Amino acid sequence: METATSDAEEEKKATFEASEIEYASYGGEHHLPLIMGLVDHELSEPYSIFTYRYFVYLWPQLSFLAFHKGKCVGTVVCKMGEHRSTYRGYIAMLVVIKPYRGKGIATELVSRSIRVMKESGCEEVTLEAEVTNKGALALYGRLGFIRAKRLFRYYLNGVDAFRLKLLFPQRELHPSLVMMAHNDASQRHASNRPLEEFPEQQERDCSSMGESVSNK
Amino acid sequence: MVSRYYSVDEAIENGAAPVPISCDKTGDVQCTIDIMDHLLACEATWHKGHSLAQTVFSCIYLLRPERTSSHALLHSYSRIIRATCKAVVSVVSDARTHEEEDLFTMAYGLPLIGEDEKCLSMLNAVEETIARQLRACKAPSSGRKVIEDLEPLQNNLALEEGYCKAILCRLRFRKHFYHVLMCLKRPQGRGLQLARKHISSCLSELEIIRKSTEVLRSNDYGTHNCGEDKTTASGRRPVGFDASINTRLSAPTPPRSIKILSWSEAVEYFVKLLHDLDIICSFSLDASLEGILQFMVQFQKSHPDLVSRAHLQTLLIQDGKLYGRDPIFAVIAKAAGLPEIVRNHDIQNGECLVHLGQLVINLLKILSTNAAWQRRKLGKIVQDWRVIHIQLELALRQEMGEESGISADQNGRGDILRQILIWVEEQTFWIASRFLMLGFELELYSPGEYCMVYWYIYVVLIKLAERMHHKMSFTNATAKLKGKKKKGSTKDMSRDFQIPASVLFLQSYICLAEGLTMMLAALKNERMLSQSPSPFNSDHERFIQHFELLQKAGVPDHISYQSFEESTKNARFSTLVMYNYFKDAQRIAKEVKNSFPNDPERQSELRRIEQVAEHNSIALTVLCRLGSLDSSLKVSFDFSHHPYFATAVVKRS
Repeated sequence: METATSDAEEEKKATFEASEIEYASYGGEHHLPLIMGLVDHELSEPYSIFTYRYFVYLWPQLSFLAFHKGKCVGTVVCKMGEHRSTYRGYIAMLVVIKPYRGKGIATELVSRSIRVMKESGCEEVTLEAEVTNKGALALYGRLGFIRAKRLFRYYLNGVDAFRLKLLFPQRELHPSLVMMAHNDASQRHASNRPLEEFPEQQERDCSSMGESVSNK
Repeated sequence: MVSRYYSVDEAIENGAAPVPISCDKTGDVQCTIDIMDHLLACEATWHKGHSLAQTVFSCIYLLRPERTSSHALLHSYSRIIRATCKAVVSVVSDARTHEEEDLFTMAYGLPLIGEDEKCLSMLNAVEETIARQLRACKAPSSGRKVIEDLEPLQNNLALEEGYCKAILCRLRFRKHFYHVLMCLKRPQGRGLQLARKHISSCLSELEIIRKSTEVLRSNDYGTHNCGEDKTTASGRRPVGFDASINTRLSAPTPPRSIKILSWSEAVEYFVKLLHDLDIICSFSLDASLEGILQFMVQFQKSHPDLVSRAHLQTLLIQDGKLYGRDPIFAVIAKAAGLPEIVRNHDIQNGECLVHLGQLVINLLKILSTNAAWQRRKLGKIVQDWRVIHIQLELALRQEMGEESGISADQNGRGDILRQILIWVEEQTFWIASRFLMLGFELELYSPGEYCMVYWYIYVVLIKLAERMHHKMSFTNATAKLKGKKKKGSTKDMSRDFQIPASVLFLQSYICLAEGLTMMLAALKNERMLSQSPSPFNSDHERFIQHFELLQKAGVPDHISYQSFEESTKNARFSTLVMYNYFKDAQRIAKEVKNSFPNDPERQSELRRIEQVAEHNSIALTVLCRLGSLDSSLKVSFDFSHHPYFATAVVKRS
C-alpha cells in the first residue's frame, strides 16, 4: 500500500457539521470517476482504471464514499479473500480531501468497510502504511490495528512501511468477549453517524493491487 | 521516466559521452574528476538500495568500456569501478543478505565481466604518471630539475598541483577500497589485519578528497549546480551520464527516476561503511559463540548497511564452519560448556545435532540481516529451536534408556546431550528475547501495548536467566566433580552459591521489565492512561497478534493472555509503593559493573540501566505519593535513556 505524507498545510478548512456528511456504499459505474478523481488527485502516481475496477467490481460492498452537499470528499476502497488459510480483508485506498481532514470522515469510511468485512466472515484486516504517516498510524491504532511487521525500504523512495493488522475476536475461543462485544455495541454510535474521534492529521492510504508484493 | 535516447549507441552518436571529454586538457581533467565524483555518488546510492543500472551504470563510459581505451585516466578508473562493483555484488550474492533490497544484485545486461586482475596494474601505472607530474610541477619551487619529457597533466600550470592531488587521492581511494574488498574475501579471516590498513588508507584519502573541493570549486568551468544536492565536489554537472539510458534493464516495476545521493552524502556514506568494516575486521577470531552473538547485536546498533553486513556474514560462515575453520559442533559443544575432548565426539553425526548445527548457522545469517527482516525471521525460527529441543529430549531419553545400569561417564552420550539440551533451551529464550526487544527498535509497539510487551519480556528473561544459571551450574558441577577426583579440594564450594555476573546482568533487566509492567498496569487500573477502547477488538486480540509466534512455539509454556491479566489486574500504586523494582534494578546494575572491567559495552549498558531505573524510580515515587489524587498529572514514556526500556515522564498538564 502506498501512503503519502505531508506536513501541516495552510489549506482552507471546510466548515461543516458531522451530520452533513453523507456516506454511500459504492453504487456503480457512476461512482468510479469520483473515486478515481479523488485518488488520482491526491496520489503522486495515478493508478490505471483497471486497478480501480479490480477492487470495485469484485468487492463493491467494501467501497464507500463520503459526500458533503453533493460533493465527494472522501473514499475508501478495499478487498477481501483467502490468504494463507485466513480469510482476510485488505484496505487498499483511503482518501479524504484536505479541507475535510481532521473531522473523523476517514475513520468513519474505514469503520464501515471493516464492519462489512467482519460481517462477511473475515478473521482479520490488514494494510500497509508509511512509518512516517503519523495520521494514518494514529487512526488505525485507535481502531485496534497493531503494527505487525516493519517492511524495510518498502517504498521506492526508501521509506519503510508498517504492515498493520486488526484481528477480530474469535467467538469460539472467547465467549466472554462476545458478551463484552454486545455490551460495547449498545454504547456505540448508530451506524450512520460518524464515530467519535480525535482530530486527525493528514492521512492518505493507497495501495497496489495485490498483496504479493508485500509478502516476502 | 522518459528516455532521452533510444539506445546507448544513439546517445554516443549524439555526443553524450565524448572521448576525450574536452579538447582542452584542463577541461578534460576537470570533467574527469567530475565523472569520478558522480560515480562515487552513484555507487553510494546503489549501496543504499537502488539498482546498478540506474546508478553506477547510468555512466555511458562504463557501458562501452572499449571506447575509453585512449583515455588512460578514465579507462583505468572505469575498470576499477567495474571490478569493485563486481566484487561487492559477489559478496552480497554469496551471503544472500539482500533481503528486501533485491534490486542490489541485479546486473543482467551490464558489462560487469572484465579482466579484474589487470585493473590494478593499469590504475597503478596511471597513479605513477600523475605522481610524477605532481613532483614535476613542484620541482621549480623546490629547486629540482624538471623532467623535460613528462607532459603536465593539463595546461594551466597554476592549477597543476591542485588537480594532480585531487586525482591522486581519488585513484588511491579506489585502489585501497578494492584492496579492502580483496582482503576481506580471503578465507578464514586471513586478510583482516591487512584490510584494516587499507581501510585506514581509504579514510585518509577520503579526507584529502574532501579538502580538494576548495581547488575544484575555485575554477569556473562549465555549468554549475549550486544546490545542496550537487553530486560532484566542483558543483558541476558531470558529462556522460544518463539516468534513463537503462530503462529496459531497470527494476521490474516501471522505472522511476531516483535521487542520487549528493557528493558529500556519498563521502559520509563511505566513511561510515569503512568504519563498519573496520569494526568487523577488529573483532577477535577466537571469540566464543556467545561473544559472537553479542558482537552481532552490538554491531547492528549502528545500523550498518547491506555491504558491511554481507561481509560480516561471509566472514563468519564459510563452507559450513565458523570462520571457515571451526566445525559447528565444536562451536556448540564449547558454548554448552562441554570439555574440549568432546568436540570430536561421533555424536555430532547424529541427525539431531546435524540439524542443530544448521540452526546455529541460520541464526548467524539471520543476525546479519536488517533489523526488520531479522525480527521476522527470529520469530519464525523460535519454533524450529523448540522442535530441536523436543528432538534432543527424545534422543536423551533414548540414550538414558541405553545407559541405565552403566556408571556415570562424563563423556557419555547422555551427558553430552543433556548439556547441549540445556544450552538449546537457553538459546531459544535468547532468540525470543531478541525478537521482543527488536520490536521496540522497530517501533512496532504503541504505548497502549507496552504493559503486555514488558510483561512478556519479563517472563522470557526469567526463563533465560534460569537456563543460563542452570547451564553454568551444570558446567561448574561437572568440572568440580573432575577436580574433586584430582585434588579433593572444597575451596570452590562458596562459589556454588554465588550468582554468576551474566545472570545478575539479566536480573537487572528482569527488575526493569517487571517494574515497567507493574507501573503501566497500575496507571491503567487507576485510569491515568488515556486509552479509548477499540471498537473492533480488545487487548486480548492484540496480545495474540504480537506474541503469536512465541505462543505457537510454547516459549514459554503455559503463558497466555489470562496469565497476563492475572498478573496485572490488581496492580495499584498503593501496592507498588511497598516494593520498588527499579531500586533493585539500580542496585544490581551498580553491583555487577565491577564484574565486567574489560567490557566497555556492558559497562555502558549497565549505566543506561541505572539511568532508566533511577528516573523510573523517581516517577514511581511521585505517582505513589500523588497518583490518582492529582488529576492534572500526565504520564508519558520515552526512550531517551535506553532503546527498549522506557523512561516514565510525569508532568502536570
